[in-house]
Amino acid sequence: MRMFLYDARLYFWLISMQIRAQWQYKFNLFLDIVTYFGVTALEIISLLLFFIPFPTLLGWKVGEVALLGSIMSISFGLAELVGAGIDNFGDMVRRGEFDRMLLRPIGAFTQVIGSDFRLRRLGRITQGGAGIVVALWFLPNLHWTLTKVLVLSIGILSGTVIFVAILLLGATICFWTIETTELTNMLTYGAREMLSYPLTIYNLVLQRIFLFVFPVAFGTFVPACYILGRPLPFNMPGEVAFLAPVIALIFALIASQIWRLGMRRYQSTGS
Amino acid sequence: MFRFYCEVARTAFRRQAIYRWANLAGLATNIFFSAIFSYIIIGLFHVRPSVAGFTLVDTLRYTWLVQALLMIIIPFGWTDLMLTIRTGEVVTDLSKPCNFYWYWFSREVGRNGYYILFRALPIYLAGMLFFKLGAPAIGPNWLGFGLSVLLGTMLGIAYRFLYNIVAFWIVEARSMITLAQTSALFFTGSYIPIPFLPPWARSIVEWLPFNGLMNLPSQILLGKISGGTFWLEVARQVGWVMVLTCGCLLLTRMATRRVVSQGG
Repeated sequence: MRMFLYDARLYFWLISMQIRAQWQYKFNLFLDIVTYFGVTALEIISLLLFFIPFPTLLGWKVGEVALLGSIMSISFGLAELVGAGIDNFGDMVRRGEFDRMLLRPIGAFTQVIGSDFRLRRLGRITQGGAGIVVALWFLPNLHWTLTKVLVLSIGILSGTVIFVAILLLGATICFWTIETTELTNMLTYGAREMLSYPLTIYNLVLQRIFLFVFPVAFGTFVPACYILGRPLPFNMPGEVAFLAPVIALIFALIASQIWRLGMRRYQSTGS
Repeated sequence: MFRFYCEVARTAFRRQAIYRWANLAGLATNIFFSAIFSYIIIGLFHVRPSVAGFTLVDTLRYTWLVQALLMIIIPFGWTDLMLTIRTGEVVTDLSKPCNFYWYWFSREVGRNGYYILFRALPIYLAGMLFFKLGAPAIGPNWLGFGLSVLLGTMLGIAYRFLYNIVAFWIVEARSMITLAQTSALFFTGSYIPIPFLPPWARSIVEWLPFNGLMNLPSQILLGKISGGTFWLEVARQVGWVMVLTCGCLLLTRMATRRVVSQGG
């Protein structure tokens, strides 16, 4: 426990250092934010435009798809905020920076996740927030209860944990291959893009993969179905939405075991 | 001089061919995302058979065509020129005994040649394999497509040159580049097929330079643009190619006059 608190304090030290550094370049930060809003606006607008000629996407109305996409944006945004350092892990290994981290008497994982924190990544979370507002505008009859709010929050948190775990798995591959980032991008950005739409539009193999292998759907699709009162595929009862944290934790545990395995095997790049 | 530019293009082609694994990974990513878009389109078309004269198969073909042309016309994340400006390497290119714009143009032509063979064709073939697209067109449409895609490529090269050359004035141009690329992608049908836009929006988008990038060649190949409209569209495309190219040449002259090399 004391070790954990120590790591947490260290993590906040590392990121506050980077926030101060980025704050020095205010004009760049401003440009980044403007860009981000532009890109986000285009994404939301194109979703809305699709629903002018088409009333529904396999029965899902525009507000419902927007809600699903927003939940995804928020949890992915949180994961990106925490785990961006993991995303650059390939470079770190190649340049030999990781060796330096291993020499320090501090957990390597804390240093990796604390190594890259970008304020502009707050943008995606803002996008999720804006998306939820748009979604609620289109869904005036949606009945909210306390349990639904609870399901939404644990869903988002579980989604974040699952995405960080996937990023970690991707980084772990670098221990073996040194270079693979492009393929991990497919898993993270691809999963984000796919799960921004109802899982049921994909074929059954893909549905099973995102429910039972990389359980991203438990962070987004399953809670969205619970909130909207929609049936789940494979005859699962809606209440499995409450299992999301358990599934996320199991997945994270597996990922961290694989990470440890990779660490033990790591032999530096020797360049 | 022309021989020199050809040689530049050939070198660029060969340089690109070195990154075989990167191309393979990029190819896999392009195909994966095209497949996601296809699933969404299939899901949407469940409620009605056609929109604005586009059936499900037309729309799938359009989507795969646009994705196939992507790396040729709007290579995402292309900051090659900006990086040479930032590092100061640009000075070597500026002192070459040739026109700076046409030098980059030739380089990009060579790179595009590589991407036609090893990116565009495999992507569309993958679409034919996974989503049973079939060939996108017969006979004469290919002629019109050939002309239009050539103009689209010229437009694309001029456009990427323009949003990179701002680096002479703004040192950190990365976020502007993202915005430039994203809006071009949006207005040329990569986010949503242009024919799906409401009529008033379409009539605006058709006059923008972006229309000639990927939307127009794709629609021509699918045979959606006929007779008289074809020549009007091509004329608009030619107009924009000339405007953007002149812009490039002009900005190059302005930039070289005030160039201050950074780094050393």
